[in-house]
Amino acid sequence: MAGIYVHIPFCKAKCRYCDFASFPEKIGFAESYMACVCREMSKRSAQLKGMKFDTLYIGGGTPSVVDENYIAMIIAAARKYYDLSENAEITIEMNPGTVSAGKINLYKKCGVNRFSVGLQTAIDSQLRELGRVHNLNDFVMCAKLLSGENFNADVMIGLKGQTADDVKKTIQVAAAFGASHISMYALTPEDGTPIYTDYLNGELPDSDEVAELYEEGRKQLEELGFHRYEVSNFAKKGKQSRHNLNYWRRGEYIGFGVSASSCIGDTRFTNTFDLDEYFKCILSDNFAVIDVQKITPEDKKDEFIMLALRTCEGIDLARYTQLFGGDFLTDYAEVLKKMSIYIDISDKNVKIKDEYLFVQNTIICEFLRG
Amino acid sequence: MGNRQNIRNFCIIAHIDHGKSTLADRLMECTGQVSERDMEEQLLDSMDIERERGITIKLAPVRMFYKASDGVEYELNLIDTPGHVDFTYEVSRSLAACEGAILIVDATQGVEAQTLANVYLALENNLEILPVINKIDLASARPDEAKKEIEEVIGLDASYAPLVSAKEGINIREVLEDVIKYFPAPQGDEEAPLKALVFDSYYDNYKGVILFVRIKDGKVKAGDRIKTFRSDKVYEVVETGAFNPALVPKDGLSAGEVGYIAASIKSIQDVAVGDTVTFAENGAAEPLPGYKKVQSVVFCGIYPLDGSKFNDLKEALLKLQLNDASLLFEPDTSQALGFGFRCGFLGLLHMEIIQERIEREFGLDIITTAPSVSYKVIKTDGTELFVDNPSHLPPASEIEHMEEPIVKADIYSPPDYLGQIMDLCREKRGVFMQMTYLDKSRVRLEYRLPLNEIIFDFFDSIKSRTRGYASFDYELEGYERSKLVKLDILLNGEVCDALSMIVHEDSAYPRGRTLCENLKDAIPRQLFEVPVQAAVGGKIIARETVKAMRKDVLAKCYGGDITRKKKLLEKQKEGKKRMRTIGSVEVPSEVFMQILKTNKD
Repeated sequence: MAGIYVHIPFCKAKCRYCDFASFPEKIGFAESYMACVCREMSKRSAQLKGMKFDTLYIGGGTPSVVDENYIAMIIAAARKYYDLSENAEITIEMNPGTVSAGKINLYKKCGVNRFSVGLQTAIDSQLRELGRVHNLNDFVMCAKLLSGENFNADVMIGLKGQTADDVKKTIQVAAAFGASHISMYALTPEDGTPIYTDYLNGELPDSDEVAELYEEGRKQLEELGFHRYEVSNFAKKGKQSRHNLNYWRRGEYIGFGVSASSCIGDTRFTNTFDLDEYFKCILSDNFAVIDVQKITPEDKKDEFIMLALRTCEGIDLARYTQLFGGDFLTDYAEVLKKMSIYIDISDKNVKIKDEYLFVQNTIICEFLRG
Repeated sequence: MGNRQNIRNFCIIAHIDHGKSTLADRLMECTGQVSERDMEEQLLDSMDIERERGITIKLAPVRMFYKASDGVEYELNLIDTPGHVDFTYEVSRSLAACEGAILIVDATQGVEAQTLANVYLALENNLEILPVINKIDLASARPDEAKKEIEEVIGLDASYAPLVSAKEGINIREVLEDVIKYFPAPQGDEEAPLKALVFDSYYDNYKGVILFVRIKDGKVKAGDRIKTFRSDKVYEVVETGAFNPALVPKDGLSAGEVGYIAASIKSIQDVAVGDTVTFAENGAAEPLPGYKKVQSVVFCGIYPLDGSKFNDLKEALLKLQLNDASLLFEPDTSQALGFGFRCGFLGLLHMEIIQERIEREFGLDIITTAPSVSYKVIKTDGTELFVDNPSHLPPASEIEHMEEPIVKADIYSPPDYLGQIMDLCREKRGVFMQMTYLDKSRVRLEYRLPLNEIIFDFFDSIKSRTRGYASFDYELEGYERSKLVKLDILLNGEVCDALSMIVHEDSAYPRGRTLCENLKDAIPRQLFEVPVQAAVGGKIIARETVKAMRKDVLAKCYGGDITRKKKLLEKQKEGKKRMRTIGSVEVPSEVFMQILKTNKD
């Protein structure tokens, strides 16, 4: 089963750490943009006849800033042009302070059954430092509107001045207000974002401190019944994100809108990051792809391993054989022996041991070609 | 072919900075060998390293024609020589091809220690010596004192020495006239069987090995069948010629002349510098006396950074050895560094030059181990052996005692820095011998110093402590009994052979301490904690810890991130390739250089 991703490149204001394609000043173009996305979906559908999809993810930016009717339009188009299963997981990202009961009701009416809320931290001063437009109170309001729904809260670690207690408090707040899923990410200061200067000035916690925050956060999450299934993702039983699991199992997906990526068969392609160019391409009845990559069988294998080892289920041995032929345990016997201290091997899976998941790069590198 | 009476073969001897290359350039200009317009600063120093460092490493011959005041045109062959103490061997090679030597003395500095050594070499080779006082244009020039020093220190009559300024082009013609007047024309029998001394060679991609020769007897031309005394392999001469200083083909060479022979010699190993070339049939019976075998003074291991480049490194060393016979090497293996070579050098500078040439001229990345000297080990069973590689040292229980090479060092300095120099020599276990005031502004200090103390950073230290005013020269004196120990470095409990060194007992602790501290910073964090220990004879004397890595993860990886994240991981993996695995510890190759910087002053 494959996934559909739709990118909404609008938000209220850029956060200091954000390097996604999002253009708060161009929100006036939202209507035209949505029309273009529908047109792109229609144009692409001919190539994907017969493919079955069972997740739809509307991300951004902040999809909840645009008129909810546009979202309804997108979901309708997805159903119209693609074979989206009856019980598909449909997720929408939203930020506290941009939602209302009306919006959420319409989303639900259109079939949205999973929400992802950008909480980041429950400490208001840290929210301001990040350039977020909401405060803790806004999150509480938002969570109350989502009461009883299946929703994720994003939590960040590695913030300026953040303590382990701050992380725990944030998790406790998210859990108390009903989150069924928590993504706990380490802040990654990207070159070109305002927060990068904080990093250069040594104002952010160092890697040891981040590791400590992660460990404290992970313990808190486990205590509250959130089980880790990927290095940064924790869920109550049965509440894992199917859409994201598809990425880590190296499934196929199709992306629409500015900057969206796709992986179909042995080809990866990415749309332009430039909003004007996107308009130009779509309106002239072209696709907006700027980069196409053919994936060799070897690269595919590397991708499969690199993604699977991020997860707690690890490499599915049967799926490896199904995809590549051969037997993983035989093909990688040497590396497995060398890395045996850090790895658990069962008859179904090969996974990185829990205590080494946060230092996985070194271990994954051993499995890569070259 | 010119009349032998009209040929002069000579070289120039000078201390570094006394103006040797500049004078050579002026001589070439004056004889019309090159027009001023074409002059590239210091023509003979053709290697980049030579120009950058302002030194001559390789000897470079050049042929000039000069119409003297007697109306006769002379052929002058100048064979440039290196000035640094490390390259004495090269000097002796060029001396053997000459009848005369110009001795340049700086009018502001007088005779330097190292000049003396080369003058004695020249005298040993029965060369005529023509003193030339240079830099007379400088305000501080004191030509009369310089002449007096030549007479007193060397015992040469300097009354007729030309006073010149190579920089300003003053009195250059006088030097040429004196060369003709004072240097003898070459001897040799044109009719005798060919005897040509190979004084240098290099590998040309099109012509094969090019031999630089001085014809002692007989003549040689294209088509002749030749052989060397060393290999007996027969080659047909393809081309002969002279140097301008580029190779210029010329029909035949005969006794007394200096030139080159190309004979499609493909294998570098077949020809040795110092060898004699003769005819394959009816050749000379006896070779010319060769050169003294070189004695390596400083040793180090050289390994390819990329283990698969072992053969490239071997090829590079062979090609370098072809025109630098003083470079010695033999294959060696290290647990940490894999396959490589143990190399012997004439000195530290020589070692640095070779390392640089391998990297620049052959584009190879190399790892070098800490320099070492050759120690004499007297075993309990009475046998003796020399060890330059710490990992070849016998177990302590089999060693009765050890001896280390000692040098006699001459340090010249203005009196203001005596205190700093004496402190440094004391730190380096030096023994003060004597101090002589050469004049009000110059003092000569004589010290006996262990060679292993000066191979690290003595030269840099002395320069920095005297703001560059002091100069330093040394010669090997012999071996002396000493309390030496092997300092081992253990990573995660395993000895890393490439990091072992032999040190004096008293410096084992401070050096072990510094090494551990440096290594702690240089070794990246691993998945586990890595103890870094220094040990002597199994006893730990210092310890640091590289903490285990705690975070090494890409926070997010969703649909749009996969390609970029994969590239990041591949880059990380690429970085690992540049590391060596010691036991279970991955160590970047820079670490091996790190220990060259043991002293932080």
